[in-house]
Amino acid sequence: MTNNQNKGVLTNKDLNRVGRRWFMSVETFNYETQLAGSAAFAMLPALRKIYKDNEEFLEALDNHFKYFNCQPWLSNLIWGATLALEDNEGLNAKDTVQDLKVSLMGPLSGIGDSIFFILIPTILGSISAYMAQEGSPIGMLAWCVYGIAIAFVRIKAVTWGYQGGLKIVNEFGKQLSVFTNAISVMGLTVVGALIPSLVKVTTPLKFTMGEVSQELQTILDTIMPALIPALFTFVAYKLLGKKVKLTWLILIVIVFSWICAAFGILA
Amino acid sequence: MNVLQIILITLIATLKKIDQKGPQIFLYNTVFWGVLAGLVMGDVTTGLTIGATFQLMSLGVAAIGGTSVPDYQIGAIIAIAIAVSTGKGVEAGIAVGLPVAMLAVQLDVLGNIIHGVFIRKAQQYAKEQKWSSFNLMYILCIVVTGLTTGLPTFLAVAFGDVLVTTIINAMPVWFTSGLSLAGKILPVVGFAVLLRYMPVKQNIEYLLIGFVFSAYLNVPVLGVAIVGAALAFKLYKDENKSLVLGAAGAVGQGEQYDDE
Repeated sequence: MTNNQNKGVLTNKDLNRVGRRWFMSVETFNYETQLAGSAAFAMLPALRKIYKDNEEFLEALDNHFKYFNCQPWLSNLIWGATLALEDNEGLNAKDTVQDLKVSLMGPLSGIGDSIFFILIPTILGSISAYMAQEGSPIGMLAWCVYGIAIAFVRIKAVTWGYQGGLKIVNEFGKQLSVFTNAISVMGLTVVGALIPSLVKVTTPLKFTMGEVSQELQTILDTIMPALIPALFTFVAYKLLGKKVKLTWLILIVIVFSWICAAFGILA
Repeated sequence: MNVLQIILITLIATLKKIDQKGPQIFLYNTVFWGVLAGLVMGDVTTGLTIGATFQLMSLGVAAIGGTSVPDYQIGAIIAIAIAVSTGKGVEAGIAVGLPVAMLAVQLDVLGNIIHGVFIRKAQQYAKEQKWSSFNLMYILCIVVTGLTTGLPTFLAVAFGDVLVTTIINAMPVWFTSGLSLAGKILPVVGFAVLLRYMPVKQNIEYLLIGFVFSAYLNVPVLGVAIVGAALAFKLYKDENKSLVLGAAGAVGQGEQYDDE
């Protein structure tokens, strides 16, 4: 799709406005249509510009009140792509718009949630907590800079989605799988290091045999350093695989900690 | 705690949730919200320490796809306010902050139910072209979102001071020390969630490399991150190369087949 084929009326300014209005994202989350309310809110000025006929405009806006749920940051690519369709095809594209939204929100959420909501916050969070424990706010400040920079990129992503329409979203997906695989290697290496450096759980238990007393932790350390943290991670990983809900797992940890603290098993 | 501090702490807690659900610029940055609370309470060091504790508990806990999860940032904000104002230290702060963080799940669900009412109205107003009412519904959604954390925080810090001190004094040692032990173990849950999202089975070797560098060789996390980046970069180059070679190879094989 080249630009001279584009019959649309939307300018970059309009698309940036959609990006900014999409900061409403999860603010309106509800259990029936999820993020649809925010989608309609974000689209409104752009749709008004596309549809000269008032009835058409109202119909197009109402269309965006249909169910939508996707990782909010990558949703901007979808908004660009659907607006490109509507800008060129008008209400003929009404059903395509909804199909496109539904078919893209799954894969984009899969990538977006794991990278932007799990991987990056876990690594940046570990580093800023690590530094904060030593009294330094540098890690936290670096995270703030990242957050602000990404916010501008997110606004810009609407334009990328629009320029490429469907093409960019599809190609983005292919390249992204190689990229995601590479970034996951770095993630795994870092997580491997974070487990022993951040989880400082030890046991104060002692064995006393006659006059000789032996600390259990010393024995464990000779087997493997950070054995307890590694073991706990393995158990938590297995429990999550057995469909134990996250909130339950957190509660299990709290109750388990109370028992271990009461009997002096762990510290 | 004076009135100004109560107002500012409540405001921070309100803005936290509005950012988390909207612009998401300081999303999950628990240390950042902790430092803000620390500045208000005049004790940035406690802000950093408690912020770090809750940050570690919150690792991997993300509200994905509209799920409601414990609100560790609110836990941190309240914990800092309580720890500094009662002078009873980090453990006392966590003992109050963590239960509120867990209760926040219920309020989040309630907020989402109320949003449903406003959004149905907004859709109706759009059809009727009542644009100021339409916009009002969105403002109300934001207000409700802010209240889900602003209100419990206000109650905890405004009326909790004396009450909280009494409760903390009545708490048995196993209760408070158990909660700080939980704070140490909870990062494990975060790593487990993260690993569930990653190709552990295919790439277990990298997890082991990172573990050995840190646990046996005591390389700092940033150093291991550089090793990880190097490994990732190598894999990226190799995979891109094999994509190109794979395509070329397929063509080559095809030609050979034709010759035969």
